[in-house]
Amino acid sequence: MVLLGVSVLVFAIVHLVPGDPIQVALGTRFDPATYEALRERAGFNQPLPVQYVQWLTGALTGDLGVSFRSGQPVMTTILGRLPATLTLAFAALLVALVIALPVGIISAVRRGSVVDYTSTVFSQLGVSIPDFWMGILFILLFSLTLGWLPPSGYTPLTEDPLGWLSRLAMPAVTVGVVSGSVLTRFVRSSMLEALGQDYTRTARSKGLAQRVVVNRHVLKNALIPFVTVAGLQLAVLLGGVVIVEIVFAWPGLGQLALTAVERRDYPVLQGTVLLLALTTVLINLAVDLAYAFLDPRIRY
Amino acid sequence: MAAPDTMREREAGAPPAPAASSRTREVARLLVSNRLALAGVVVLGALVLLALFAPLIAPFGINEIAIDRRLEAPSAARPFGTDQLGRDIFSRVLIGTRISLQVGFVAVSIALVFGVILGLVAGYYGGKTDDALMRLMDVFFAFPAILLAIAVLAILGPGITNAMIAIGIVYMPIFARITRASVLSVREEVYVRAARSIGAGDLRILRLHVLPNVAAPIIVQTSISLAFAILSEAALSFIGLGAQRPDPAWGLMLAEGRGFIQQAWWMAFFPGAAIFFTVLALNVVGDGLRDALDPRQKSAIESRGMVGS
Repeated sequence: MVLLGVSVLVFAIVHLVPGDPIQVALGTRFDPATYEALRERAGFNQPLPVQYVQWLTGALTGDLGVSFRSGQPVMTTILGRLPATLTLAFAALLVALVIALPVGIISAVRRGSVVDYTSTVFSQLGVSIPDFWMGILFILLFSLTLGWLPPSGYTPLTEDPLGWLSRLAMPAVTVGVVSGSVLTRFVRSSMLEALGQDYTRTARSKGLAQRVVVNRHVLKNALIPFVTVAGLQLAVLLGGVVIVEIVFAWPGLGQLALTAVERRDYPVLQGTVLLLALTTVLINLAVDLAYAFLDPRIRY
Repeated sequence: MAAPDTMREREAGAPPAPAASSRTREVARLLVSNRLALAGVVVLGALVLLALFAPLIAPFGINEIAIDRRLEAPSAARPFGTDQLGRDIFSRVLIGTRISLQVGFVAVSIALVFGVILGLVAGYYGGKTDDALMRLMDVFFAFPAILLAIAVLAILGPGITNAMIAIGIVYMPIFARITRASVLSVREEVYVRAARSIGAGDLRILRLHVLPNVAAPIIVQTSISLAFAILSEAALSFIGLGAQRPDPAWGLMLAEGRGFIQQAWWMAFFPGAAIFFTVLALNVVGDGLRDALDPRQKSAIESRGMVGS
């Protein structure tokens, strides 16, 4: 249902543009033959509902049309960019979790301590910092001043694992710090909630050690709501990736989408937006299912 | 802050309902007792003043080009240095405050007005209207925020006005959802049913009985959304879809500075720092408001205060 709505909205992008999108896209390179060919290929000669059905069936079978610029199939272009974006997204999520889990747990268990206070301040800073600015500062510090890391670009893992890691580090940390700050707060609050529950008191009154109480009773229960938040955060993180890719010249979907907007290459933009929205919906679905798996009380 | 306001209201001879007055004072008291939030309010107030009087304070014109003074490092005369055209970055960042606050304000107003109306209608009438509206909002939620804004700008074309509209559209669903959820919880309250039974119209009930009672979460969301709207505008301007040259928008200045990062770090540093502090102040105030307006959180703060003293 939501997916259907998403597809209508994405389909509408090209038709909501004032004027003739192909004419606009071709701009000064306009010539009647190319124009007609692209029109024909994009199916613009047909009534709108027919166009939508054709576009949707095409999209479902992996045909997202051809680029107005290069004439390449959009699917091929997107698949070429996908690994870079996925790599960055998962690396960033890893960074976020490595920050959020320990820091969140410790600040909840030692509530009101220096650690708790410091982590609250840092998570507030992390939520507020513009990621593109942080990325530029990282480049300034680690690439231009210290010369430790290459400032930008992407090397596939298969070609040069070390180069891959050195180029991945800064963008992944940039995106990860922001997400990690958000997640830290959620870990802390869901831990605090679990710490205040009856079963925690019972476990304590049985005389169990603090470590056992936290590991066995609190952590397990606190992680259930956290899975939801972490999943939703992955969707937010994709947004961050889009911007940070531009800072680090990371050849992923964010850059592709931006170039498509600049060049008015609407099929490419539609394909990218559709794919990222689809990913978000699927993540949410996966989160719901994981929730049921983790919490035996929930059955669908 | 809000305390003198309450007093002024009382002197003006328009006594607000006792509950509302003590509520306002309570919120003000909690905000003031939360030193961090108070600091945020002060910083925010200072920013608004800076934005209002920026043209008077700025030592140089924002587009005053002086090629012979290009890429000058920060000094006493030019505290933030100069850019590639010799323009004074301090003056530009100062005027940029206006753009950022204005964009944030307009964008959030769009989101607030449309989102709250949709949420009120969906929550109050329920049924098919509710289903249809909320599924529509779900569709908007399926897009990563910045990507939705990019797609809207692809349709409308780049520019600061269109960026405000795009950000407004992006943040509308969250207001709709929050409003709807709160309306659902007050819809069946006795005072709403009482109003209905004496023949009050829907519009009157919504305006006088429902809206005031769902305001708290909306207010909190407004301050948080302001922070993210400013951040989004900066991001959009940074990638070239928001403000256009030669406007001194922070995101745009940052994008220009990025090209000169090796020769002139100050070009990218100061506009970015301005974004950071503004967003931080708004977030801190938002958190403070949430603590003050949400009774469950309130007890947490007060208990922490007791442990501390």
